Order: sequence, then C-alpha cells, then structure tokens
Amino acid sequence: MAVHTNCEGISRRDCLELGLTTMVAGGLASTLRLRGLSAAQSEAPAAKNTRCIFVWLDGGPTHYETFDPKPEAPKEIRGPCQPIATKVPGVHFSEHMVRTAGIADKIAVIRSIKHNHGNHGAGNHYMVTGAPTRIPVSCGAFVSFHPSMGAMTAYDRGTQNGLPPYFAMPQMSRSGGPNFLGAKYAPFVVPDDPNQVGFQVRDVNLPRALNSERFLGRRVLRGDVDRFLRIQEKTAGDPVNAFDEYYKQGYTLVTSPEAQEAFDIDREPETLRDFYGRNEFGQRCLLARRLVEAGVPFVTIRNPGWDHHSKMLDRLNRSLPQTEGGVSALILDLEQRGLLDTTLVVMLGEFGRTPKINKDAGRDHWSNAMSVMMAGCGVPGGQVLGATDKHGYTSSERVLSPENFASTVYTKLGIDPGQILYTPEGRPVHLVSDPTPIRELFA
Amino acid sequence: MRALDALTTPARGSVALAIAFFVAGWTAAAPPEFHLTPEKAELRGRDARQHFLVSGRSVATDAAGSGSRSLDLTSQARFSTSTPDIIAVDKHGVVTPLADGTGWLVVEVSAQTIEAEVTVTQATQELPVDFETHIQPIFTRRECNSGPCHGKQRGQNGFWLSLLGFDDDFDYRAVTKSHFSRRLIAAFPDDSLLLMKPAGALPHGGGVRLPPGGGDYQLVKRWIRQGMPRRSTDSPTLTKLTVFPTVRIMRHDEKQRLLVAVHFSDGTTRDVTEHTTFMSSESPIAAVDEEGTITAGTIPGESTIMARYRGLIATCDVTVPLPKPVPAEFYAQLPQNNFIDGHVWKKLARIGIKPSGPCSDQTYLRRAYIDVIGRLPTPEETREFLGDAAADKRARLVDRLLDRPEYADHWANKWVDLLRPNPYRTGIKSVLNLDYWVRNSFRQNKPYDVFVRELVTARGSTFRNGATTVFRDRRSPDELTTMVSQLFLGIRLECAKCHKHPFEIWRQDDFYSFAAYFARVGRKGGGLSPPISGSEEFVFAKSDGTVVHPRTKQTMAPRPLFGTAEVVPGKDPRTALARWITDGNPFFAQVMVNRVWADLMGRGIVEPVDDLRATNPPSNAPLLEALATDFAAQKYDIKALLRRVMSSYVYGLTSTPTETNVLDTRYYSRHFRQRLRAEVLLDVVCDITQIPEKFDAMPPASRAVEIWTHRTPSFFLDTFGRPDRNQDPPCYRTEDTSVVQALHLMNAPNLHAKVTDDAGHAAELADSERTPLEIVNQLYLLVYCRPPDARELARATELFAERSGKTENGTEVGSVRRQATEDLLWALLNTPEFVFKD
Repeated sequence: MAVHTNCEGISRRDCLELGLTTMVAGGLASTLRLRGLSAAQSEAPAAKNTRCIFVWLDGGPTHYETFDPKPEAPKEIRGPCQPIATKVPGVHFSEHMVRTAGIADKIAVIRSIKHNHGNHGAGNHYMVTGAPTRIPVSCGAFVSFHPSMGAMTAYDRGTQNGLPPYFAMPQMSRSGGPNFLGAKYAPFVVPDDPNQVGFQVRDVNLPRALNSERFLGRRVLRGDVDRFLRIQEKTAGDPVNAFDEYYKQGYTLVTSPEAQEAFDIDREPETLRDFYGRNEFGQRCLLARRLVEAGVPFVTIRNPGWDHHSKMLDRLNRSLPQTEGGVSALILDLEQRGLLDTTLVVMLGEFGRTPKINKDAGRDHWSNAMSVMMAGCGVPGGQVLGATDKHGYTSSERVLSPENFASTVYTKLGIDPGQILYTPEGRPVHLVSDPTPIRELFA
Repeated sequence: MRALDALTTPARGSVALAIAFFVAGWTAAAPPEFHLTPEKAELRGRDARQHFLVSGRSVATDAAGSGSRSLDLTSQARFSTSTPDIIAVDKHGVVTPLADGTGWLVVEVSAQTIEAEVTVTQATQELPVDFETHIQPIFTRRECNSGPCHGKQRGQNGFWLSLLGFDDDFDYRAVTKSHFSRRLIAAFPDDSLLLMKPAGALPHGGGVRLPPGGGDYQLVKRWIRQGMPRRSTDSPTLTKLTVFPTVRIMRHDEKQRLLVAVHFSDGTTRDVTEHTTFMSSESPIAAVDEEGTITAGTIPGESTIMARYRGLIATCDVTVPLPKPVPAEFYAQLPQNNFIDGHVWKKLARIGIKPSGPCSDQTYLRRAYIDVIGRLPTPEETREFLGDAAADKRARLVDRLLDRPEYADHWANKWVDLLRPNPYRTGIKSVLNLDYWVRNSFRQNKPYDVFVRELVTARGSTFRNGATTVFRDRRSPDELTTMVSQLFLGIRLECAKCHKHPFEIWRQDDFYSFAAYFARVGRKGGGLSPPISGSEEFVFAKSDGTVVHPRTKQTMAPRPLFGTAEVVPGKDPRTALARWITDGNPFFAQVMVNRVWADLMGRGIVEPVDDLRATNPPSNAPLLEALATDFAAQKYDIKALLRRVMSSYVYGLTSTPTETNVLDTRYYSRHFRQRLRAEVLLDVVCDITQIPEKFDAMPPASRAVEIWTHRTPSFFLDTFGRPDRNQDPPCYRTEDTSVVQALHLMNAPNLHAKVTDDAGHAAELADSERTPLEIVNQLYLLVYCRPPDARELARATELFAERSGKTENGTEVGSVRRQATEDLLWALLNTPEFVFKD
C-alpha cells in the first residue's frame, strides 16, 4: 500500500486492496480501510484485553460537593456540605461520598482538568471525544465532530465474542457517536431498566413469545430457504459474505449460554444486586460489569440530572448516594473478581460548577475546574492528582486538559492516541491532538 | 542519438530488435524496436543526474487489441559509456558528470546497441542550491511537511511547515528564522538541527528521514553551507511537469519505470524522478513504489499513476488487460440499448472482460421498484409483470414507476441527507420547511438546474421558503463555499480553505474568491438559539459585505473557479454564481449523474461520488461525460436521467459473475449488489407485514422515507445506519451490514410483533382459505418478489405438513398454520435475498 501522508489520504485503491485480504469486502471496505491504515501508523501498547466503563454524570457535577471540598472557603463558596475523611490519610471528599471515601485507596481523583467549553453541548463533546467542537456550539447542542472514545474503541477492537463492542445505557450521550468512523461503530443502546423485573437486553434475547425450540426450527428453515447466490471470490467484494458472517455471530450470541449469561442480570445473587443498589443506575453498573466480563471493551452509563442550577443540596441528597454507591460497588466487585486490573472505571461530567452558590441555591457551569475519578487498569489508587486553588476557582497545580484525559483512556485501552485517522474525504485527523497521557495514572 | 549498427537501423534513433522472447507467449509478427528516453541529455554542475529508460515494442495481439505495445526494457539493458572520462553511468541507467565535454552513453539490449549524447558543463562546479528548487522537494518527498508530521496545523514539536510546502515564504521563515534560527548553523552544517534530527543523530519522532551520506542529506548540507539562499528572482520558474511514459498497457507482474522531468521557463529541463512523489489510483491494478516503478497487479483494469513535484502533477494511464484475448467481434455483437452500453462495452473490450448475462424479469422488477420508488412490488404487480409478454414491458415498468408518488419521497430522502441540518441547531420549523421544499421539488420533477439555482439564491423567510434554511444553517461564506462546491460541483474546496489542495489545482485565493459570492448574504430576525432556535429569520442580499483572505488580508472580489461569472452591480452576487454553476458547467452535470448512477448501479463512476478531479479519475470517463451531456440535453430532468440509465442493457445485467468479470468491481460488467437503505428496509417490512410503524412527530401510518429529521427515534433506522442525528451536518450514512443488524432482524421485539400481530399479514394469510401452497407462494412473492421454485415450494409446504401433524399439546390446527406462516415469513425476511438489491 502506498504511504499516506496527505490530504488524499485513502482512496479507492486501499478499499480494493483490503478487499483482497479481508473476507468482508464491498461495503465494509470503507470502514476496514480505515482500520488498516491507522493500525499501521504507530505502535500502540499491547493492552488489548483491557476495557472501560465510562460513567457519565450528565449536566456537569459539582466538584465542591464531590471530590474537591473547600472547607476553608467563605460560606458562599464552600457550600452546604462538610468534608469527610477518606481511607487515604489527608484526603477529604465531600460528605455524600461515603462509600467512595471508603475505597479512596483504590481510586485516583484528578482535580485539575480544565477547559474552556462551559456549555453542555461543547463540554460533552470535549470530554467524550477528547476534541473540542470545531465551531462554537451552545448548551442545547447535540453535536458530533469527532469520533467518541467508545466508538473509537469499537473501531479498534471490532466485535468481541459476537458481542457489540460499544454499549450505551440507557442512551448514547450527546457526542457519543462514531462520526466519520461510520454508523457501524455507533453504540449498542440498552434503553431498558435492568432494575425492572423481566429486564432483557434488546435484540440479543429471543422475543418473549418465542421458545428456543421454535427459534431453532426457524434457523433451520432460514438455512433452507436461503438460496441466494454467494460470490465466493473475495476480490469480487460481495457484501452478502459479510452479512453471512454477522448472522453467524448473531446466532452464536443468541444461542450460546455463555453469551446469554452476560445479559442475564437475574443470575446475580440478591445480595450483590442490593450491594450495587436497587435502582436503575446501580443495576446498570452491575450489568456493565457483566458486559465487560463477557468481553465488551467499552460501556457507557449515562446518569442524568447533574445540572444543578438550583436546589443543589436537595438534588444531591437524592442522586449522589445512588451514584457514588453504585460506582464504588462496581469498583469493589471488579476487584473481587480480579477484573479491576484490566477494567478502567471513569466517572465525570462536562465540567465543574461555579464557586459561588447562586441565588437559587445552585451552582452554574464552570469549566475552569472539574474533578474526574479513575480507577482500575493500573491506575495507582489512593492518589489525588493536581489541585484547584484554595477556593476552587481554577485548576492550579498539574493543570491537565481533556486531551490528556482522553489520551489516558486510550492508552489504557491499548489505543495509540497519537494515531492518524482518515475521514471518508481523505482528510487526516489526529485521534487526539495532544496525545500525552497523564503519567501519574500509570503505575 | 547515434545508431551503431547501421545495417539494422531503419531510422536514426532506433534499432530494430526482436524482443519477443522477453515475454513468454508473445509472438513477434514484425521487427520491434527500442529507444531511449530521453534521447539526449545535458548535465550541468557537479551534482546533476539523469535517468535513462529503455523502451521497446512488442507486436503481439493482446486483449486490448492494440496489436503492439511498449515495454520497459531498462532492466534488461546494459549501460556503459564510450567516454568514461566525461560521464559515469551505473547499471540502472543513471548518468553523472565527470568532466566538461560531450559524452556518449552506450546501451546494449540483446546484442543490439544504441548511443545517446550527454553534454556536460560545469562538471566540477557546485551549483547554487536554493530553497524552492532543491530543499522544498526534499521536504515533500521525505514527508517532512506532510499532514501527520510538520505539515499539520501548528506543526510538530514546534517545527511547523506549510502542508506539502505550498507556502515557500512561511517555510523559509520556519526553517531559517523561527526559534532564533536555532535550526541551522552555516559554519557547521552537520551540526544543524535540520540535519541532525532527520539523520538520526538526535532523537526524532519521525525517525531517520535523511540518512547521512545520502544525496538529499548532501544537498541540504550544501544549501546550509551556501548560506541558505532563497531562489533568486531572475532564476527560471517551473512551467510544467512531464512524465514518461504517459500511457502503458501492461501484463500482470510487468514493471515499468517512470521518468519525471520538470520544465523551466528558460526552456531547460531537469530530471526530478528522485524528488517526485508517486501515487496510484488503483494499487491492486497497478502499484507504484517510491522510486517510480509501476508493477502491474493481478486484477485487470485501469489505474492512473500520479507524479507530484512542487505542486505540479503529471499522470500516466496504465491498463492491465486480462491475459486471454477477446475478439473485437464479441463486443460488437453485444446489445446496445443506448449510448451507455456502447461506452461500457468499449471499456470492457479494453480490459478483456466479458459482461454477465441479463438478469431475470423478476430481478429486474425488484431492482427497479427499489431504485425508483423504494418499495417492493406487490404480489399482484409481480404476477402482472411476469405474465406480461410484451417486448417493451421493462420500459413501460420504468415509466409507470417514475409516475408513482413514492418516487418523490424516495429520491427526496436521498437529497435531504445531503442538505438537512440538525434541528437542534437551526430549529424544528426551518428543518421541516427545508424537508417540504425538497420533497415538493421532487414531486414537481423540478429540473435539477432550477432546483440548485433556487437553493443557491434562496431568499426570504425560513418560515416560508424552506430553501433558505441552508443559509440559516451555514452562516459564513466559507461554510457555504465548501458545501456548495462539493454538493453541486463535486469539487472539494475544504482543503483549500487553509492550504493549497495537494492533489488539486485549487489554492486559497480560489477558495476565498468563491466565498466572496456569499459575502453579501444578509440575515435578519431571530438567529440561532439552540436547542430551540424557534425564530423566523429572513435571508436577503445586503448591499455590502466582503470576504477577506486570511493570509494576505486582501479583500477578495467574487471569482469562480474557472471561466467567468460577472456580478451585475446592485444585484445579488449569488445569482451570478448560481448561473455559473448550473449553466453548462461540466462538473455540475457530471457530479449529479454520478450520484444517480451510483445509486442505481451500486458504485459511482467516480468514487467518492462527489470528488471529481484529475487525480481521482473516473473508471469510465467517456461514459461519465456522455451521461452528463445527455442530462444537460434533457434539460436536467432527473426522471429522464433515471429512465436513460434504467433502459440501458447494462442496468439489466445480472449480479452473477462470469469467469472473466468476477474481479471487476468498477467497470459495470455485472450488477453490484447493495443493501437496502434503512428507510426502504423498514418500509418494506411494514408493507409486507401490513403493520405500519409509529413515528414521533409524524401522522399515523407515515412511512420511514417520509420522516423529516433523523431525530425521530427509531432503533431500526439507527441500526441500519441512518446518519447520526447529533452530527453536523448528519450526512455519514452507512451501507455496511453489522452484527447488530443481524440481531435486530432476528430478534427485535418490534419486528417479532409485526410478524406475529393478530392484525398482521401472516395472521390474515393463515386465517384465510388459502392452501399451504398458496400461502407459500404468496410469501415468496411478497418478500422475494418471485414465485418459489418447485424445491422451495416443497420445502415450505412440508413445514405446514410437519406442523399439522404436531397437535399433541392440544394445539389447534389453525394456530399451527399461523405459526408455520409466521416462521416462513421470519425466515424469508432474515435472508440476504430480502435484505439486498440484487
């Protein structure tokens, strides 16, 4: 293959060339060619068995009332909550973070990520893709200018054990899409509530009214009625060959007890389900664990309602215990199963919140400071990285960017953040413009 | 050139030579000849180099029917010199100077010899090295200034060059001046960062690019020692680039070297083969390596090899025919329904591919329905068509389909993909209005040029004229420029916004001159206020407004990319632009026919469909041009274009390959299969099951193809690759298949419900008086649009029989019939014969 170092990027020849070497040519070629090229760009760490559970606190959680309390600040800044001690001497979280404080030795908190995109549309885009929006967008924007980390992971890893590689629960976050990588790498969305009795993951279970005997009959029947001609010659690029491959994977997923087990949250003991919390979010954390256990490399859990412009304390009282409880249960459970070493758990939102409590007893958007939690996958626990100034206005020590954050996630997943991707137009695009991971998060 | 063997020399400059034995299986019918390129050379200065190529001819008749063709014999030639004190020559035919005078290069090919004159001047002098002529090509060839390296925005590790060296001033400053001139030390060139890093003496992220001792290293070193001169203003300028050869017919695994010369304004030329970047448009057909050697691959077809040097481009067209010749009469007797067939056969004849046979009536019927109206024929329609014995039934079918109301929605749906903004950005009402405007245009069969003129010059309220939504969404002249040029001309100016396009002729001033046509687009009323953006906005032509070139800070006058488009004083500049785009502009018609052709034939004559440029050649240029001319002659009538393509013989070919065309994926010797679009697939599932889908913000029983925004939730449509609703603009649609799609068809509760609904088609069939035979027949007609054959009928009716015997659980016969009907329907819907257009 020719060397690609310019706007031409990739062209028909790559499409065709890959068609020669891959079973699934034709329509798939457009996505495969991207893979072929980026893989050649530079060597990435061999961490291909790692995965990520990405907990997205939509709206932008306050840093004061979570990981970065400022008890010394004036009352209108320090807010209504008290700091509590954690398992790590000298490190304090805010009073709601009770269970997280108990596992502070297993997590790292980064207090010093900052950016300048203080609205939901742009903040979401920056934090889930590692790239700022190309043009200014506003709060209500749902935009995608760059592949999200989940989509990129799907693209890098491909289908695992027949399982879609990128899950989103209960929906995709705003900028969580694949952008130019193609819809094939969009998240597999599980909208239903795993806390409900009879919960099923859509499409991977047989429809309720269908017993497996009838399904097997159908499968045989399908094989019999399918007499469409296949063009075996790979270079011919017959898209039907790829279709066959996916049906085979689909059947495996539906019929193999191992695969089905991944989705069957009812198999979990009651005590463990209680441990995660009998609520939507807690059970999603549990389901996420089952998915990564089955080989899914990227799971996003979207937890809405963190845009606390008013009545912050009431709303924190309601949602924070469930959230921090679910996530700390997840980390402990992963550890107990020996999965924490290979599973990265991150928790963050678009940005932090304003230092001064506003007239509605809330805090507004503030991207000068935010706290991001990371655990697992070799992240040394018990550390607080960076700091904000004494009143929490801005990141002041070890100031880090969303690019550093994204590079860290990618590196943990064995994906080279410095690689070049090519859009269908042939334009080279850096996966992360500053591919420098946060070194302290690597043991 | 001087012939040594006068006896066998038919003419000066060439020597008759039988070379047939070089290529096994070829028979020489007449004496071939060989010659040198260049015929003579001048070497000026100590460091001059000249490559020589030896070409011969073969006279064997091959698939292309050319009778005789040229071959590269350089590797078989032995090079020497009769004047070893004047020149030196290596075994590859590279000549270097030793002393002033006239030297003679001697080339021997199988006992025949030929000589070439090489004039050497200033043989011991180190000629001035300058930045533009010598250094920039090295940066490009060694990829220092490429997009992933120092050519990217803001450079790499503080060293920033313009992309592919399009801005000499900038690069010269970057190399010599920036960072306190730390990169160069004239007194100790070897200690310069500019050499130490790429030579590997200091850590360099890009690795070793200039091995010490190599020619490029020496050249850069000399340049530094000479004091880093720019090109002097009186030195000659580059005028053109030529490549030898420009056309070749090659056999698999054959090699051909390229020779690239740059021509200067003073009439001199220079061999720049070693500083040229080469690319192939189709590597599997003919690949090219860094040195400029083409190797024919194993796939028959055509490939264009591009040579690029300092922004100049020259190309060589390579044809690799199939080894087995096909007599010309074979193609002459192929049917020609219209001009399309002639152009396709001509191309196939060049490569020696034989087309597949015609497809069956049932395949044609299904294909035509999907293509024109995005639905499947009903069983009645299928029976009627298959039973029709008239010779012109296909033509009448196409006419009937083009008159169907579904045509407008299906084709509008493809166009709104390209135009519609994210409603979270521009507001619901403006998106809805644009959708209505596009659909209405297709309902009226608005001529395509009128459609585009109305869009480009849209004015008025976003609440009244949907076309204005484009200007609500795209708010700056440069955004409009990239969109308009790509959509309607297939010219991608996105790159030229920031730098000269590396494979195009467009420069930044072309971009901003084009943008100047949009400088006076005025807007008043409520602007964007996402996520609601509910206000009305008016688009109008202001009396002033300018576009400024970001680099030169010049105010740009409106100027089209080529030709003229004078703005009438006091009038909206967009009017002049719209006329220039739509009135006889060859790009305009070509990109549209290419889009339509790609939709109907499974692959564009140019791919991507909206990227027309010399360096991305069409797979069949005469066909593309003929289609465009015809489209213009038919007054840009889109339905007439569809009719033209669909009435060609080529459109009606089967997808089943023959022995010779299985490798063809671009010359239309067979039909290329496509998965049904998301909307079409969902609509036909609803049609077949008779259970319509419910969509938010749409009237009951709406079809997916009628949805006006991708924000309307639908797992089905998301799964089958409609564009991401959050993307701006949401235009990346996928035609791939995926495991998620397979799972969805297999198990989605929604689809299961459609198949098993008590009010659905399966239930109705099962409850009817029909025999199992009739039910099976009907299901095949519904889903595959053909009756089952005997074997299929037997297998499927057996299903009913085996079920009717299984009533042991007290299951009633009726429900067994129902279950068999449902299962067969499910099975058919889950097969590729349903999911693909064949």
